[in-house]
Amino acid sequence: MDITDLITLERIVCDSEVASKKRVIEVLSELLATGQPDLMARPIFDSLIGRERLGSTGLGHGVALPHGRFPQSQHAIGAFVKLAKGVDFDAIDRQPVDLVFGLLVPDHYTDEHLRILAGLAEMFSDRSFCQRLRETDSNQALFERLRDWQPAKTPLP
Amino acid sequence: MEIINQFVLIGAALLLLAILASAVSYRVGMPLLLAFLLVGMLAGEDGPGGIVFDDVPLAYLVGSVALAIILLDGGLNTRADSFRAGLRPAFTLATVGVLITCLITGLFAAWILDLTLLEGLLIGAIVGSTDAAAVFALLRSKGLALKQRVSATLEIESGSNDPMAIFLTIALVELLARGQQTPDWDLLWLFLLQMGLGAAIGLLGGRLLAWLLNRLTLESGMYPMLTLMGGLTLYGVTAVLGGSGFLAIYLIGIVLGNRSIRDGRTIQRVHHGLAWLSQIGMFLMLGLLAAPAALISGAPASLAIAAVLMLVARPAAVALCLWPFRFPWREQAFIAWVGLRGAVPIILALFPMIAGLSNARVFLDVAFFVVLISLLVQGWTLAPLARWLKLEVPPPPAPDEQLDLEAPTGRHHALVGYRLTAEGHVTGLAARDLYLPDGARLVTVFRRGEPLDTATAGLLQADDLVYVLAEEAALPTVGELFAASAEDARLAERAFFGDFMLHGDAWLHEVAAAYGLPLPPEATGQTLAGFLTQTFHGRPVVGDRARLNGMELVVREIVDGRITRVGIKLTPLLPPAAGSGKNP
Repeated sequence: MDITDLITLERIVCDSEVASKKRVIEVLSELLATGQPDLMARPIFDSLIGRERLGSTGLGHGVALPHGRFPQSQHAIGAFVKLAKGVDFDAIDRQPVDLVFGLLVPDHYTDEHLRILAGLAEMFSDRSFCQRLRETDSNQALFERLRDWQPAKTPLP
Repeated sequence: MEIINQFVLIGAALLLLAILASAVSYRVGMPLLLAFLLVGMLAGEDGPGGIVFDDVPLAYLVGSVALAIILLDGGLNTRADSFRAGLRPAFTLATVGVLITCLITGLFAAWILDLTLLEGLLIGAIVGSTDAAAVFALLRSKGLALKQRVSATLEIESGSNDPMAIFLTIALVELLARGQQTPDWDLLWLFLLQMGLGAAIGLLGGRLLAWLLNRLTLESGMYPMLTLMGGLTLYGVTAVLGGSGFLAIYLIGIVLGNRSIRDGRTIQRVHHGLAWLSQIGMFLMLGLLAAPAALISGAPASLAIAAVLMLVARPAAVALCLWPFRFPWREQAFIAWVGLRGAVPIILALFPMIAGLSNARVFLDVAFFVVLISLLVQGWTLAPLARWLKLEVPPPPAPDEQLDLEAPTGRHHALVGYRLTAEGHVTGLAARDLYLPDGARLVTVFRRGEPLDTATAGLLQADDLVYVLAEEAALPTVGELFAASAEDARLAERAFFGDFMLHGDAWLHEVAAAYGLPLPPEATGQTLAGFLTQTFHGRPVVGDRARLNGMELVVREIVDGRITRVGIKLTPLLPPAAGSGKNP
């Protein structure tokens, strides 16, 4: 998985001030629709929130990976929001979430969908990487950190 | 006087030696009970110790009391919620299972040792029950947590099958002593008396004892002793009236362990220690009692009996008894292998000696050999087998320290302490901003030996010792949050349960749709909980997993018998296409 296939600088927001899970998903939906003429924020929101209803995508350690499927998109796209202050995301560990990566994949992806998610989950389970993201204060720097992440040489314990 | 002092010295030194040996046995992975038995044998007549001990009545007395104490502790630690998964299969194994084991082993023993049918069956009965001490020790050993369906079944079975083996042994010894050749109806009456009295006195006596514990005001150290003596008294009452004292005392333990009683945790702790001491004492003594040199001559036949017991009788009994419950084959295989024999067969083999039967010494030697082989072969291979059969689940998050508060609030509160690790969920978070479940509160954080105020402790660090005051209902959630995760990588939460967590009542077809996965027709129109419950025949346990195309559903949490949370592991079916690998 190459993260730059998923995300662009325009779909990254640093230190967003939103204060609820619903608002975070709204912000993500708008970001995901940015620059995609055939994508509308509202149906994206519905897709993401529908997935959240089955169970939170909060991974624990302050990270969430909302994801959804969408017929109109041609390829997978991602958006990333770093919150100024964590919000309750109903995550596994109940702790507030402040790093949120939204993923939207086209309907014709199946294996690819699972593979991208697995890659993102691995990326965001790297605690020192997350810590570096939290210390970052600009969209550009966030983009570079995301782009430059390398999986640990040895598999994580 | 001098001789008594020598007794004290020898007895205490042997016990001390056995306790020290337990430290070594952990390191080499030897089953603990085997270590105790070996110390006893080394000290005994054929070992360097040279102690001659052949006081059968004394050995029987000590063995019975020790077994009673072990069963009481086992009962105290048996949680009522394990009944859901294990009670009926365990009960079947403890009755029908023992009978089948006894018949198969007995017929073979009669044939190979050239004994009468009844004598052969007596051998079958003597080695018929699995050992509570050995199984409890295995299931409670740190670092091995098994799926509840397996652990509950084994645990309840081993605690409750001794009465059946004892009944069969007594019945056969009586028949043989009277010179009869065929069983008669008196046996049924004996059976009903043993089990009925044992169950009745156990259940009523347990309630009575719980009531007493909560009513009386005693010195704090007296509550465990009241439990012990109350239990042993009721054991004695039952046995004197002709019932099964072992069944009674096990049930007393279960009743007490599942009621809220004063000083409950201290009682459990003290009894845990007592049970260890009983095990050590019992196995030491049995080791002393053995005459290893004499064992050698009968070795081939005994070995064959042990092999038939382990490889034929037990698996057949398990297969037949568990057939109606449709256990997954891995679990069935494991249960078949965990037919650990322990002290009970040796104690039971003393019955024919006391009754003065002609072949009594043969029975004892065979029993001893079977136990030795069982502990050696099965005891040593259990943990690796559990791993190989993938029956392990992440161990429940236990606090490093727990203090139950006695404040009369109507709800139980406990102060729990956790040592944080670098990977812990809360490490790196601000102490004052933690989201704790309702009814839980962070009290203090010890850092480098100093208690800190939670408002000023700042970010939580690895090695911090945090103390949380929590209501009983909030304890599991608090545990999940603070407890260190498993050391074994395959049991780490993410690896075991998958990255995401779903609600048990989510619709399966919606989950499949969220990942574009096809769904087999029989799985439509069901919730995750419904589907998993059906897949595991109405008795799912944490760690049960079902694979559906690209997803694997793992039962994560069960509350009151209902699946509330399900982990989902997403596993791509195809290997990653070229160019989309994780490494650039």
